[in-house]
Amino acid sequence: MDPVILGIAVVNGIVLGGLYGAIAVGLSLIFGVMRVINFAHGSFLMIGLFIPYWLWLLFRIDPYLSMLVTAPALFGLGYLIQATLIAPLYRRERAMVLEPLSVLMLTAGVGLIIDNLTFMAFGPDFRGITLDFASKALWIGDILNINYTRLIAFLSSIAITVALSLFLGRTDLGRAIRSTAQNRDAASLCGINVMRIYNVTFGLGCAVLGVVGCLMIPFYLVSPSIGLAFGVRSFITVVLGGIGSIPGCILGGLILGVVESVAAQFVTATSASIFSFVIFILVLFFRPTGLMGMKV
Amino acid sequence: MGGDGTMASQPAPRNQTPAIVGAIALGILLLLPLAVKDEYYLHVCIGMMYFAYMASAWNIVCGYTGQLSLGHSALCGIGGYISTLLFINAGVSPWIGMLIGGVGATGVGVLVGWPCFRLRGPYFALTTIAFAEILRIWTENTEEFLGIQLRGAQGISVPLRGERPWLFQFDGKAPYYYIILGMLLAVMAVTWWMERSRLGFYLKAIRGDQDAAEALGINSTRYLLSAMALSSFLTALGGSFYAQFFRYINPERNMGLDLSIELALMGIVGGQGTVLGPVLGAFLLTPAGEITRATLGGKFPGLHLVIYGLVLVLAMLFLPRGLIQPIRRLLGRRAAPAEGEADLA
Repeated sequence: MDPVILGIAVVNGIVLGGLYGAIAVGLSLIFGVMRVINFAHGSFLMIGLFIPYWLWLLFRIDPYLSMLVTAPALFGLGYLIQATLIAPLYRRERAMVLEPLSVLMLTAGVGLIIDNLTFMAFGPDFRGITLDFASKALWIGDILNINYTRLIAFLSSIAITVALSLFLGRTDLGRAIRSTAQNRDAASLCGINVMRIYNVTFGLGCAVLGVVGCLMIPFYLVSPSIGLAFGVRSFITVVLGGIGSIPGCILGGLILGVVESVAAQFVTATSASIFSFVIFILVLFFRPTGLMGMKV
Repeated sequence: MGGDGTMASQPAPRNQTPAIVGAIALGILLLLPLAVKDEYYLHVCIGMMYFAYMASAWNIVCGYTGQLSLGHSALCGIGGYISTLLFINAGVSPWIGMLIGGVGATGVGVLVGWPCFRLRGPYFALTTIAFAEILRIWTENTEEFLGIQLRGAQGISVPLRGERPWLFQFDGKAPYYYIILGMLLAVMAVTWWMERSRLGFYLKAIRGDQDAAEALGINSTRYLLSAMALSSFLTALGGSFYAQFFRYINPERNMGLDLSIELALMGIVGGQGTVLGPVLGAFLLTPAGEITRATLGGKFPGLHLVIYGLVLVLAMLFLPRGLIQPIRRLLGRRAAPAEGEADLA
C-alpha cells in the first residue's frame, strides 16, 4: 500500500477519531454516573447538528457562534427528558437491584420519536452548509493536508474533553457527580440530591453533543437517519476506552477513527464499520473494562 | 423489567373466563379469511400474525431470561436467506429449506450466545447488536459468496412458480394466513409448555438472580443456551415464512436493527415473559402502524414510528410489565405479585 495514501488515511482517522471521542464523552458520562445506556444519544447529536444548520440557513449565524444557543438548548432537552421520563423509572426501581434495561428501551423510544419527528419535518435529505474558509486547508509538507474546519473540530474536541475532566475533578458540582457515580446511596447520605445530579449529568452529556454538532456541521452532512449509526459508534468508543473514563473516550475514538479510515482504503466505506464491531466484540470478551477503564 | 409469567405457580381459583375468551378469539382468527375478502386487509392480518409470531419467538429467550437481545433480526435473516437460496440454487422446497435455515440459525444463535451470556445487561444487548450488524453489513456488501449470488443490498426475489403448495407458493393470501396462524399457535404452545417445564423454572431462577441460581447448582449457561437455541430456531422459521410470503428478501428489511427493535418493542409493550403478552403487543401495534402508514403515511412518513416510540415510552413509564397486566386483571386472574415483593416475601 502506498505510504502516502496510508498516511492521509491515518491523519483523517485521527481527526475523525477526536470527534468520535467527544461524541462518546456524553454517553460515557451518563453511563458512568447513572448506569444507563442512552439509546437516543445519536438522535441528540442529530439535533445538535440541525440547530446550527437552521441558524445558519435562516439567520446566517456562524456555526461556531451558535454553540452558545445549541449547547444550552441540548442541556435543557436532556435535563427535561431525564427529569420527566427517566427519573420515574429510577424511583420505581430503586428498591431492587436491577440493571435498568427498561431505561435503555425507554431511551430507544425517545430516539424513535426524535428521529421520526425530524424526518417528518425535514424529510430524508442530507443537508450541509458551506462556510467561506471551509475549503482552505493546513498543509503539512506537500502532500498531507487537513481542512481547517476539521482541524478546529479536532482541537476543540480535545479541549471539550479536557474541560469536562477538569470540571468533574475540580468543581463542587463535578465532585458531587463523581461521588454519585461511585455510590448513589452514600452520596445521598452526604446530602447530595441524587436525582438533581442525574438531571444535570444527563443534561451535560447532551450539551457536549450540542457543541460537537456545531463543530461538525461545517463539513458534515446531516439527515434524520444518522442518529442510530452515531449512537452505536459511541457505544463502541465508550466500551473500547473503558466505561466512565473520559480520556479513554478519546483513545477509543482515535482507535475507531483510524481503524475505520484505514479499513476504508481496503474495502468499501460501508463495510469498513464491520471492523469496528469486531473490535468492540473482542474488547468486550477479552478486556471488558476497556483499555483505560478501572475494575468495576 | 418486570413481567415473569407466574401463571403456573399461581393456582388461582378455577376461572372459566380466560378459556372462554381464548376459544372465542381462536374462532374469530380461524374464520377471519372467510369474512375479510379484501386482499389488503388480509395482508395486514398476516403482518399482525407474523409480528406476533416473531415477538413470541424473541420472548422465549428475552422475556424469560431478562437478557435483552437486539440481534434477533440476524436470525430472521439467516432463516430467510437459507431457505430462499436453497430454493433458487438447488430447487429445495422452502418447507425443507425452512427447517435447514432453522438449524443453521440455531447453530449461529448458540455459537454467538455462548460467549455473550457471560455478559449481562446493556453489554449483552450491545453485543447482540454488534453481531447482527456485522452480518447485515457483510450481506449488504457481498454480491457473491462461494459462487452463490447474494446480490448485496439489492436483495433477492423468489421466482414465481404459480400455485404450488409444496413450493410454498399459493394463489391468494388465505393459505399464508393459515400457515402463519398455525405457526403462531405453535410458538404459543411451545412457550406455554416451556413456562411449565423444568427449563422454565430454571430460567426464572436465573432471571431472578443468576449468581444465586448457579450457587444452587443450576448450570445457567446450559439453560440460557437451550432457550436461545429454541428461540433462534423459531425466529428463523419466521424469517423463512416472511421471505416466501413477500417473495423478496433484503438485508436491511430482514436483518436490520430496526426489525430487532420492533420485535423487542412489541414483546415489551405487550408484556414479556408471558405467553400472551408479545401476541397482544403485536396485535395492537402492527395494525396501528399499518393504518397510520396507509392513511397519513403520504403526508407524514415516519408517523407510525413516532407512535411506536410514544407507546414504548408510555409503556415503560406506566405499564412496565406490559399491557397484559391490566387485561389479566380484567379476565379475573389474580395479578401476580411484582418480582420485588415476591423477593421480600
